[in-house]
Amino acid sequence: MKGKLRLDKGLIGGLIIATVLMVVNIVLASVLPYFTSHKVYYDSTAYVVVILISYVIYIIRLFLLKKKSVNDVAVVLFGFFILWETAYKLGWIHNDLLLPSPEGLFHVFVEKSGEITADVWGSVRLLFVGFILAAVFGTLLGLLAGWIPRVREVLLPISNVITLIPPLMFSAYLIMILSTFRQAAIAVIFFAVFWPTFQGTVVRVGQIDKQIIEAAKTMGVGTFGMLVKVIFPYCLPGIIGSLSKSLRGAFMCLAGAEMLGVNLGIGYFTEKYKSFADYRCVLAGIVTVGVITTVIDMAVNKAKNVLIKWEN
Amino acid sequence: MEGLQNESKNTPKNKIEIKDVNFDYIDKKSKYEALKDINLSIKEGEFICILGASGCGKSTLLSLLAGLNKAKSGEILVDGNPVKGPGTDRAVVFQQYSLFPWLTVKGNVLFGIKQSGRKLGRKEREKLAEKYVESVGLSGAINRYPSQLSGGMKQRVAVARALALESDILLLDEPFGAIDPRLRLELQELVSKLCTENHKTVVFITHDIDEAILLADRVVVMEPGRIKNIIKVRLSHPRIREELSGTDEYEKLHRQLISAFYDQVEEQIDAGVAL
Repeated sequence: MKGKLRLDKGLIGGLIIATVLMVVNIVLASVLPYFTSHKVYYDSTAYVVVILISYVIYIIRLFLLKKKSVNDVAVVLFGFFILWETAYKLGWIHNDLLLPSPEGLFHVFVEKSGEITADVWGSVRLLFVGFILAAVFGTLLGLLAGWIPRVREVLLPISNVITLIPPLMFSAYLIMILSTFRQAAIAVIFFAVFWPTFQGTVVRVGQIDKQIIEAAKTMGVGTFGMLVKVIFPYCLPGIIGSLSKSLRGAFMCLAGAEMLGVNLGIGYFTEKYKSFADYRCVLAGIVTVGVITTVIDMAVNKAKNVLIKWEN
Repeated sequence: MEGLQNESKNTPKNKIEIKDVNFDYIDKKSKYEALKDINLSIKEGEFICILGASGCGKSTLLSLLAGLNKAKSGEILVDGNPVKGPGTDRAVVFQQYSLFPWLTVKGNVLFGIKQSGRKLGRKEREKLAEKYVESVGLSGAINRYPSQLSGGMKQRVAVARALALESDILLLDEPFGAIDPRLRLELQELVSKLCTENHKTVVFITHDIDEAILLADRVVVMEPGRIKNIIKVRLSHPRIREELSGTDEYEKLHRQLISAFYDQVEEQIDAGVAL
């Protein structure tokens, strides 16, 4: 039996390479001089912290998953950072405006930490309001439509048309008719999540094993009880699975909607600095969206594992 | 040989009466008569096996008894009242996949107890559930989910859940058809024991002759659409497979059932060739 903290020989090689690359990264960031002149120089602390955090996450995942691919990802990531750093300092990249240095990019999170925090918080709040409304109503209506053919035959064709229209196309219009940007943003998220949730639920209800329904019927379960006690729990794993997908989609829609005119949020942050031609901040905004989406994804998966104990 | 069975407790009344029942399956192109003029009376406490090849309508008959389908004509009476739909007076055990995957073994049995409509406190329900789980020998797996159980264990839970409804009538639709033979024997003996203990009136669908002999008071042999033959099994309970096989009575029954069963299969094959 191998202990939790022991690794196979095959994995140790990768661990050494990744660690060496990480150290090289830090050395380059703090020691390598600039061979060409740039307009501004940024403090490299934030960048070094990012490298260290990535390394810690990598080590945790390596010991938890014990997979070679974890090594490969780390090698690619640190290798990319090395290329970027050297390319910048040796002067292969010489456009400060469009292609910032890694130090410059990550320094944004120090310079504008307050602004970014407020914007992220703003986005996430809008996201949750719209998302929860849509998830609840989409699931309820989906269960009803899945179970009652007459409801389904009315709603399904409508939803088939609506889901084909990209939700972002609604947003321009929604922003015009709704009184605040906040409401508009929530509405955009609602539409991005509601219809896929509804459709997914209808499909899942249709896939229920007939014997489960019959077993419930023979135990005297009525229509309402069937929806609440049988169909809902049966469909729950699928619903949560599709929610994690639509949550990601919702976040993209939100960032898009914010670009159209909300005055708070990470999409707004990105849009604002784009018009200032500060692409360092634009990139920082993009990185932030990536991080948030990943965190949301992980949270939903965690929630699924806690809620759905009966699968896997 | 008679009198081995305790048949004479002041002639029990009819629990289930099937009267002139017809049932058709209709699809777009054709109509198929699944049951034609079925008549059968089942006494209180009786264990009936319905034996037949696949497609003879035996499962259809069970779904009518369960109230999941409605007869085209004729009626089914339970305690003298016509069956109008599914009800907790008739518990059903299906072939497989009928457990609720989101509930544990205990949760599945508790579901049955709650649906039975008895007024019980939380503690009493839990105790009762544990009792039923124990009666099918699954105490060690009481907190597992169905996905963590073998096929045989799942069917044990399905039996426990059906017993938990505390109905007088138990309907079983080839419950052990998909289970390997060694385990099947254990389950058959368990069901036989539990049904006698709990004084159930039982309708058990099967295509296995040995299973029918082991369990039934009467075996109803079906051929497509109708009842071909009803054969009484006068063997004393508890019936143990090893002790039975080889005895004259058993051999006689076996021959009787085989000829009833295979005549009809041959006829079907002939008909198939003739087409």
